Amino acid sequence: MSEHKPNSVPSPWAGWILVAFFGLCAIVLGMDFFRGRVVHHPIEEWKAIYPVFGFVGIALLILIAKGLRRLVMRSEDYYEDE
Amino acid sequence: MSSIPPFLVFFAGALVVPFLRRFPTVRMAWLVLIPILGALNVWGIQEGYEVQYQLLGLTLTPVRADSLGLLFGYLFHLGAFIAIIYSLHLGKRENATVQHTAALVYAGSALGAVFAGDFITLFIFWELLAISSVFLIWARGTGVAVRSGMRYLLVHVVSGVTLLAGAMVHWSDTGSLAFGPMGLGTLAGWLVFIAVGIKAAFPLLHSWLIDAYPESTPTGTVFLSAFTTKVAVYALARGYADVDLLIYIGAVMACFPIFYAVIENDLRRTLGYSMINQIGFMVCGIGVGTELALQGAVAHAFNDVLFKGLLFMSMGAVMHMTGKTKASELGGLYKTMPWTATLCIVGALSISAVPFFNAFVSKSMIMTALLDEHMYWIWPVMLFASAGVVEHAGIKIPYFAFFAHDSGIRTREPPVNMLVAMGIGALLCLAIGIWPGLLYGLLPGEVNYDAYDYTHMITQMQLLCFAIAAVAAFHLWKIYPAEIPSVNLDADWIYRRAAVRVTRFVGRTVGVADAAVRGVVLGGVGRAMRGAFRSHGPRGVLARSWPAGSMVLWVTILLTAFLFFEFLA
Repeated sequence: MSEHKPNSVPSPWAGWILVAFFGLCAIVLGMDFFRGRVVHHPIEEWKAIYPVFGFVGIALLILIAKGLRRLVMRSEDYYEDE
Repeated sequence: MSSIPPFLVFFAGALVVPFLRRFPTVRMAWLVLIPILGALNVWGIQEGYEVQYQLLGLTLTPVRADSLGLLFGYLFHLGAFIAIIYSLHLGKRENATVQHTAALVYAGSALGAVFAGDFITLFIFWELLAISSVFLIWARGTGVAVRSGMRYLLVHVVSGVTLLAGAMVHWSDTGSLAFGPMGLGTLAGWLVFIAVGIKAAFPLLHSWLIDAYPESTPTGTVFLSAFTTKVAVYALARGYADVDLLIYIGAVMACFPIFYAVIENDLRRTLGYSMINQIGFMVCGIGVGTELALQGAVAHAFNDVLFKGLLFMSMGAVMHMTGKTKASELGGLYKTMPWTATLCIVGALSISAVPFFNAFVSKSMIMTALLDEHMYWIWPVMLFASAGVVEHAGIKIPYFAFFAHDSGIRTREPPVNMLVAMGIGALLCLAIGIWPGLLYGLLPGEVNYDAYDYTHMITQMQLLCFAIAAVAAFHLWKIYPAEIPSVNLDADWIYRRAAVRVTRFVGRTVGVADAAVRGVVLGGVGRAMRGAFRSHGPRGVLARSWPAGSMVLWVTILLTAFLFFEFLA
């Protein structure tokens, strides 16, 4: 099982795309401080709760998935003798 | 306008296909015509239309058209139309006749199931779904596909038999075979629930999907993704709306596959996990059971056929052109497949529920319904699952196939029919996203819902942007899991490995015990026979013949002894 590490991002546009994307992140985050929104639960009143949830959620997802891989990953021919 | 049962159009179409083997152009026209004729037929069916007859004292309803069945009817025609266009290029080398015929019977069976008014009709089409669709897996022609298809067929036959058992118990309990709201208060309700749960890929019953779909042909997977699980979602909406257990099952379905999707190397298998994740949203919505949640679940099923079909089509196009679907072997294809890459990105944006793409207008209905019902424990779980979709389907699929590292593969765009089918799918994803009224107008109930209010838009954008930011950060920090050629153990390990090992162990143990018992018993029997032989054999003491003189002598001796003892007494 040889690892195949992806390069980060391929094209010369990639840097600009990342800058534009992080700019968009800043805008949608900033909106929480300029305009109110409808809330159903008190926790939604916290500023930046959705951005924090999105970032932390995915971080946990990836870290747990890496742990899961140690448990469940087998070689490609694992089922070949069936 | 008089209509015929919707499934008949597809079955009749399938009957003709084998005779058009030598006329590929005519066959193409015929194939495209079938879903169009079918759609016109269904369009003419009024709500309340029923076909009913008596058989052996049972009332059967082979066709019952209500608003729920009609919506799925429209959807299946649309799905079949796109998938048929996608598969028009098939030739002899790809078993075109088998694939086209199986696909038409499969689509017809799905229509038969959603218009079935009774359990017997439902059972027949339930089994036909399995039998016809397995040919789309076997058509791949590899040993792996054949074995995977056998497992797929076995699981679905079990589902059908369970459905039939539930139907019989239901008939015995109620005297009716009508398929309607079931609930979980009876044995029949549970049996049908399990049968539907297998087809809906409930947790631990899901591995047939992960096992078989990626082994199908590139075109076959597009058909597979459209029908089987959606028939199950229809059956749940029909029979189990407002069943609380579905909320929790849906939440588990939405969450557990996203962990597997992160580490899965086969991109079509990743889409399989993604499919279970999306069905989880539908199942959860059906469990919530409010008008908004139910309409959201059904709308999401409709959208799923489009965006998941589009993603499967784009990966199918990659597979068709390169022969590969593994992330570790792909990358950099945007240079030679820019249209496919663009259409894949539209599918990725759609499944991620980005505003102005179709999943946004249906998934947000389910999420809003959860909040409206104060389900504050389930809501964050589903929100987490929503964010997880972005990671595996929104980024991973297009990124590893078309960007990432340059794999060195230089190919070209797929056949034009594949691009056209993907284009139709992408346009519909966008059209429904921009004008959700197009979809809301078809839904079986009233929808008073505005997807595009400020709160929905901004919260979704915040969630998605920062989920993507996390993925980007993990890539940049080189923490993101590398793509490794491997398989990941899932629930199918139970019957592919554990059950085999248990069977072998039991076989060995029983063999040893059998040999031991046999040894003891046969040894005893042998000894008994040898003893009997010694006494009763030709030279045995009991088999010897005695002369009459010897007998007289012994009688005399005995009498003398008797007289002697009498005298002494």
